[in-house]
Amino acid sequence: MPDNLSPRADALAKATGTERYSADETPPGCLWAGVRRAGIPHGLITGLDVAAARSLPGVAAVLTRADVPGTNRQGIVHKDQPVLCGRHVRHCGDAVALVVAESRDALAEALSRIQVECTPLPGVFDPEAALLPDAPAVHPGREGGNRLAYGLVEKGDAPGEFAAASDDDVLVAGEFHTPLQDHVFLEPPNGLARLTPAGLLDMVVSTQAPFRDRFEIAHALGLDPMKIRIRAPYLGGGFGGKDGATVQCLLALAALAVPGRFIKMAWSREETFLAGYKRHAATVRLKLLAKRDGTLRALAGTMLFDAGPYAHLSGEIMALGMEHAGGPYRIPHTRVEGSCAYTNNPVGGAFRGFGVVQAGFATERLMDALAVRLGRDPAGLRRQNALKPGEHNCVGVMAEAGTDTAACLDAVMAHPAWTGREAWKQAAPAFTRRGTGLVAIQNAMGYGRGLPDAAAAKLELTRQGTFRLYNSVPDMGQGNASAFVAMAARALGQPPQAVSCVQPDTRICPPAGSSSASRTTYTFGNALLRACRAMRDKLLARGALALLCDTPERLELIPGAVSDPVTGRSVPLARIGMMLCRDDRICVDQYIMPVVDHPPDTGREFKLGFPHRFYSYGACLCAVEVDTLTGTVRLVKCLLSVACGRVFSLSGVEQQLQGAAAQGAGLALFEDIGLTRGRMRAGDLSTYLIPTALDLPDIECLALDDDEPSGPLGLKGMGEIGIHGPGPAVAQALYDATGLWVRHLPVSPREVLEAMGGPLS
Amino acid sequence: MIRRVFRPTDLARLWPLLADGALAMAGGTDLLVRRRGQAAVDVALLEGIGELAEIAAMRTGLVRLGAMASHSALAASRLVTARLPVLARALLALGSPQIRAMGTLGGNIATASPAGDSLPPLYALDALVELASRHGRRRVPLAEVILGPSRTALSPGEIIAAVLVRPPVSGSLQHFEKVGRRSALAIAVASLAAVIETDAAGRVASARLAVGSLGPTVLRCPAAEAALAGQRLTPDVLQQAAGHIRAAVSPIDDIRATAAYRRQVAGNLLLRLAAGE
Repeated sequence: MPDNLSPRADALAKATGTERYSADETPPGCLWAGVRRAGIPHGLITGLDVAAARSLPGVAAVLTRADVPGTNRQGIVHKDQPVLCGRHVRHCGDAVALVVAESRDALAEALSRIQVECTPLPGVFDPEAALLPDAPAVHPGREGGNRLAYGLVEKGDAPGEFAAASDDDVLVAGEFHTPLQDHVFLEPPNGLARLTPAGLLDMVVSTQAPFRDRFEIAHALGLDPMKIRIRAPYLGGGFGGKDGATVQCLLALAALAVPGRFIKMAWSREETFLAGYKRHAATVRLKLLAKRDGTLRALAGTMLFDAGPYAHLSGEIMALGMEHAGGPYRIPHTRVEGSCAYTNNPVGGAFRGFGVVQAGFATERLMDALAVRLGRDPAGLRRQNALKPGEHNCVGVMAEAGTDTAACLDAVMAHPAWTGREAWKQAAPAFTRRGTGLVAIQNAMGYGRGLPDAAAAKLELTRQGTFRLYNSVPDMGQGNASAFVAMAARALGQPPQAVSCVQPDTRICPPAGSSSASRTTYTFGNALLRACRAMRDKLLARGALALLCDTPERLELIPGAVSDPVTGRSVPLARIGMMLCRDDRICVDQYIMPVVDHPPDTGREFKLGFPHRFYSYGACLCAVEVDTLTGTVRLVKCLLSVACGRVFSLSGVEQQLQGAAAQGAGLALFEDIGLTRGRMRAGDLSTYLIPTALDLPDIECLALDDDEPSGPLGLKGMGEIGIHGPGPAVAQALYDATGLWVRHLPVSPREVLEAMGGPLS
Repeated sequence: MIRRVFRPTDLARLWPLLADGALAMAGGTDLLVRRRGQAAVDVALLEGIGELAEIAAMRTGLVRLGAMASHSALAASRLVTARLPVLARALLALGSPQIRAMGTLGGNIATASPAGDSLPPLYALDALVELASRHGRRRVPLAEVILGPSRTALSPGEIIAAVLVRPPVSGSLQHFEKVGRRSALAIAVASLAAVIETDAAGRVASARLAVGSLGPTVLRCPAAEAALAGQRLTPDVLQQAAGHIRAAVSPIDDIRATAAYRRQVAGNLLLRLAAGE
């Protein structure tokens, strides 16, 4: 298959180290900003002495809550997170004071001289306990107490179905837990800011949402959002962790305090663990009712998310999880309740898989439980219940036409890793047990109803006759900028070298939503293709002037020129570029993702982001080898199929699936933040372990034939779906290998060893 | 963190630097991490002192492993892979390619971590450590050099110059296994090094067993060694010796594993020898 993304437009610059990330912006003479953090999970600040820090040579400013103009509240939707804490500290990473200094050494010294006196308060670390009436209040006086959000989605009459269950039915139930997860992007949160003499707050930030950042900063600090400029160069990874303010408001505050100077803030890895957002830990309790022939009848249960002390997008994450709780299956009756609880744990936020990771693990485990009860092959049971186009998912939204879950399962079930699994298992070497698991996966695309999933794209013909596209959605490594270059080159009939790409800059790029939600290439790509069509029409019309052609529709846009096939004459694009004024060399167009036409009457609590219309589907096989002497689990095979519309670039699809599956494998087998009463025991990369290249197999990908007519060149988003596979597939494989019934992630060697040999003494 | 950096090219130039308070730095893979956020110090790099990196067979039958030989150089050395495979295997399980390229055998000893990956093989090989200072040289058994976590018997101004080991007779079983929570860049949860000589009938003539990460220092297990003596390496024999290992260790609970898991695995690792090496 020809690959439209080979080589990627960013390959050479990144391989040779010339690509400039936000972290590379350190102008001569720039100041350094840093934060003193609370270090305790819950308490009241009774004394804050910054005099010793302020008097230190090389210290430009020391700021506390009293120095914050505006609301001092940040947050994407719900504004409940202080930029600097005044009195109440709600988690260990809370910011208490901000220092701006001439050097990193002076900064470190000043931070260490700040005296913070805190009276500890009883903390609440268990989301279950947080919802009890006598729990310590994370936000005292708040209506609703620690219950940050609640929601209910239902379809049909699940309670009635469960009540009417007979001996001909089978009921399975379980409680499942998925942990906090750190994004571990390579480039920690950082940025550069300067308040210019003209009063513009000029910032370069490693951010997934430059356009929204302006409003979040402006709200927190009482500024005019239009006087804030954000540039977002390529990110060294994001995965959701840079969707929402990290350094933004703090850095802006520093810039206000020391006008005219460049100020840089760069979190260390440890600070990123301490203060950065995490995937929400969640407890999911579900029960599933089926007929003896395996037909699913009803699903009911609850999902509880640990939000930490601030909302971020907790409610929206919970909503998406609930929307996916039925899996890609046909279930006539469903009822799922969700809650988010405030606690004094780290702040929950966006992370690839956004609530769906938590839901999918529970749902797939229940499907396994049902297969065991019925003595069925777990893949066949899923195949039997797979949602088909035109059928309604668990919240009552009709599945769109296109390649479906059954096809995704079939592709993996036909693979030798599945058909040959018993022979492979029997051939296990000494001290080794083998097992294989196969699960279905799905992930919705876009923001969902209630807010526009929008992007505007700007395309410019240069005076040299080449094209410049203005990317409005940050590229955090997923390759969207390269995809946009390739799409534009193709749409304009030009070689890719003729298209350059400007990275997001709120001053010169038209607005677009964030780099998130598997939406980036779909939404911006559609806007860009529209801009390309407008550009093509324009160039033919302007070329007609030069070619004295009264019927421009007969003209052709060829590499570097507009050509008239009738006369054989052509006019170079450079000539047209020179001829036009700048306004006329630019085309801007936009796109908003279509939403569900007739939304079901459920999920009424969700004002934003519910329900979703488009899904990508897939299946994932994992095979494990377990060492019987140590309980060590090796993931030795990982295979994913995906239906995500037309494939624009196979390498692009494979890279997303592989990266996502690797992150899913980390969640399944490695990553454990060791949270104890609000404190992380694994707060750095020597203790918080992510898989290395030696811990992962070659991850095989099967991209199926598919088409999404609304998508740019027929594609759908698929940046998240791969992360859902390894958790439940490894769990199923471990049952196959050892009989261990996994209810929580990550799985430790101790549990595996115990499962094979009884409890350890 | 670092104030001045010195790079002496022979030992004579090193001694005054150490006397003036400079820290001796080998590969720096531990030292630089430990010095983060600490007061600035002078360092004296050992990398320029050529004799410290030599790997050679000596006329006495001992193999001399220079303290500044990197883990990757040792693991690639024909002498080490042919005569001391137990050490080569351990070094290939240490850190990552980058760490192995920088880190040194002497540094791994000086760090004195119970999880030092090179240490169980060196204990099992009854390694001697050659210490050098301006006053001369002395040879000390490794187990007497390492006193506890981060504690050694080195005197002020003294460095590790080399490690001396006598290779086991050819045909000996040399086995190393590290249990980590991942396959690279992992601190050992437990490890076992075994050097076992057998007679023509397959009976154990001598067994030397050392375990890592199961107490404050790497530990030899004489009771387990004795239980193997004169026996064939059958599952029953190994199971009995494994019990002695479990009884001898004093593991802790930490972020990586529980003490109970470590104790169980400490014995289990020996059972793998039944597969026949």
